[in-house]
Amino acid sequence: MEPSIDIYRLTGVSKTYRKSGREILAVRELDLSIRNGEWLAVQGKTGHGKTTLLQLLGGLDRPTQGRVEFAGRDLATAPEAQVRRVRAGSFGFIFQTFNLVPTLSAHENVEAALIPLGVPGTQRRERVTAALDSVGLGDRAQHLPGELSGGQQQRVAIARALVKEPRVLLADEPTGNLDEDTRDEIIGLLDTLWRERRLTLVLVSHDSSVVRRAQRIGVMSRGRLSIRQDSRA
Amino acid sequence: MFFLTYLRRELRRRMRQAVFIAIGLAIGIGLVITVIGASSGVQAAQAKVLRALYGIGTDVTVTTKPKPQSGLPITGHAVGAPLSGSGGSGGPRAEICLNGKCYTSGTVDTLALGDTGTLTQAQVAQIAGRHEVSAAAGGLMLTDNRVVLPSASNPDIQPPTSFTVDGTDISQPRLGPLSNARLTSGRAFTAADQNSDVALVDADYASSHDIKPGSTTTIGGTKFTVIGLVSQPESGSPPNMYIPLARAAALATNPATGKSMKGLVDTVYVSAASATDIGTVQHEIEHLLPAATVTSSADLASEITGSAAGAAKLAGALGKWLAVLVLIAAFAVASLLTMAAVARRVPEFGTLKALGWRSSRIVGQVLGESVSTGIIGGLAGVGLGFAGVAIIDKIAPKLSATVPSPTGGFGTPQTVTGPGGVAGGALIGGPATSHTTVAVPMSASVTIAAIVLAVLLAIAGGLLAGSFGGWRAARLRPAAALARVA
Repeated sequence: MEPSIDIYRLTGVSKTYRKSGREILAVRELDLSIRNGEWLAVQGKTGHGKTTLLQLLGGLDRPTQGRVEFAGRDLATAPEAQVRRVRAGSFGFIFQTFNLVPTLSAHENVEAALIPLGVPGTQRRERVTAALDSVGLGDRAQHLPGELSGGQQQRVAIARALVKEPRVLLADEPTGNLDEDTRDEIIGLLDTLWRERRLTLVLVSHDSSVVRRAQRIGVMSRGRLSIRQDSRA
Repeated sequence: MFFLTYLRRELRRRMRQAVFIAIGLAIGIGLVITVIGASSGVQAAQAKVLRALYGIGTDVTVTTKPKPQSGLPITGHAVGAPLSGSGGSGGPRAEICLNGKCYTSGTVDTLALGDTGTLTQAQVAQIAGRHEVSAAAGGLMLTDNRVVLPSASNPDIQPPTSFTVDGTDISQPRLGPLSNARLTSGRAFTAADQNSDVALVDADYASSHDIKPGSTTTIGGTKFTVIGLVSQPESGSPPNMYIPLARAAALATNPATGKSMKGLVDTVYVSAASATDIGTVQHEIEHLLPAATVTSSADLASEITGSAAGAAKLAGALGKWLAVLVLIAAFAVASLLTMAAVARRVPEFGTLKALGWRSSRIVGQVLGESVSTGIIGGLAGVGLGFAGVAIIDKIAPKLSATVPSPTGGFGTPQTVTGPGGVAGGALIGGPATSHTTVAVPMSASVTIAAIVLAVLLAIAGGLLAGSFGGWRAARLRPAAALARVA
């Protein structure tokens, strides 16, 4: 896909939750386009809709109204099986709490991302090894998450997101649980991978030192997104 | 394979819970196997009792009720002065009248039928000719009664003696009481013995009466050569002697008619062509001989009383329900624990869904884990079942079974008053009791069917538990699941 082409196009997207009998409008009438290969960072306070926006972009949730078009396909109305296939093949997720399966080794956690794609065993092992090498954890492949530091666990999570060669990387507070040095290390790694692989990166964070590396920075406030900085060419 | 790696790792992580679920299932399944083992043990014991009475291959027995007495009565009374004292030759004497003939001295030895009716050999042939009947054999259960009357040289009243005699159809060795007997010494009957005065003697009776193969014994006033000794397992009152049916019929008298038993039998032992034909055979014989009592081994088993029947009821009712309750409890606990485990793993399943895993794959993973736990529990349950059955075998007391005898059983002593008013307990081949009590050892065993059932139950338990958990996992929306992490 051409870099100048929009990979995402969100039109009039709202998302309402019901919590304890009350309706909470997490995202309000949001219009947004994201170009292929762009790095968009979304800032904002806790509870202002950042994560909800990321989940809508990742097909993990559906909007109450509006369209979430990804590569021309509306994720809001597509059948669940189709959304699942898009998720499996095109999106890589990175979570604040790493979300590694505690009983599986680093290698197996990364391998888990290739299971829904039906990649054969030998090819799977090669791709997992390459992914772990790319995040500098080739020698920790057999370690369980509990045997790794927070930074190493997040690297495993990044390898898991990258192993399927996704078109979009969706990162939700990827440095939220890390100390300053490790944070810089992880953001540096994401920056490198984004440049090398020409990924589309949507990163949610409340940390200004993290978001300033992005091409475009948006701020979510009470469910509305406003773009503050746009350094795209 | 990724599925197995994930499954193994997950079971190892939740080792304590998996062990707890497996133990619950193992106890339930172990109980089921033990109850089945005990139940089949009791049934086997009952079958042994019935085999001892009717023979290994007998499916149906046919008997008739006795006709009202028309023969001359058996009487015993004192005549004249008492015999007591020395040389009281002029005193009263003991006298026994049998079938119109009175005896005042010597030995009176009679072979008589019990309190049963008779069937003819022609009727036996009719039964044997039915399409669904593979074999039929007549039999006679008789009592030999012996009274030594006082005489001048021996004025004291001798206690009367009696023993039981089974007239056996030698041409049908698999039918009738003798078919279940084991030859302990000497030889068995051969076809050539059909009209010979030869007898087989029960080993216990022979030992207490000093009878050995080759010796002679008197039956119905005729000398018989003992050709062998036999032993009846699990039989409380086996016949004391077995003689060829033709000879038994020739020597026996029917007390109801006072006539010879030639050409008559009192029981017909019938073997059906197949187990499914037993009902038909029973029905056909009832139609053929409306006055006869036609009894299948199942009918007789249901009439067994005593501790064997009690044990059967205990195993069948209490044991079964206890096993079912424990199984239900084990299944419920397994299901609840699996659901709880799934609840704890919501973020994990949410992540897998975010990675694009199908719900069915996640459900399969949960099911795989719980079925594996179930199989481990099932295997442990089989082990527990073997142990339970072994314990029952070790501690189970001998069971007593009171069984209705096919021809009313062997004779019960009927007393006549001898001279001098002494209640002598003389046996005159009178009416017989209708039940016999037998002590049988209970031997429980684990059957292949029980093991198969256990494995199926284990898989069912695992599937049940896993399907609850899996259903919960499948319904998760990834966004909701991931929200639990934050």
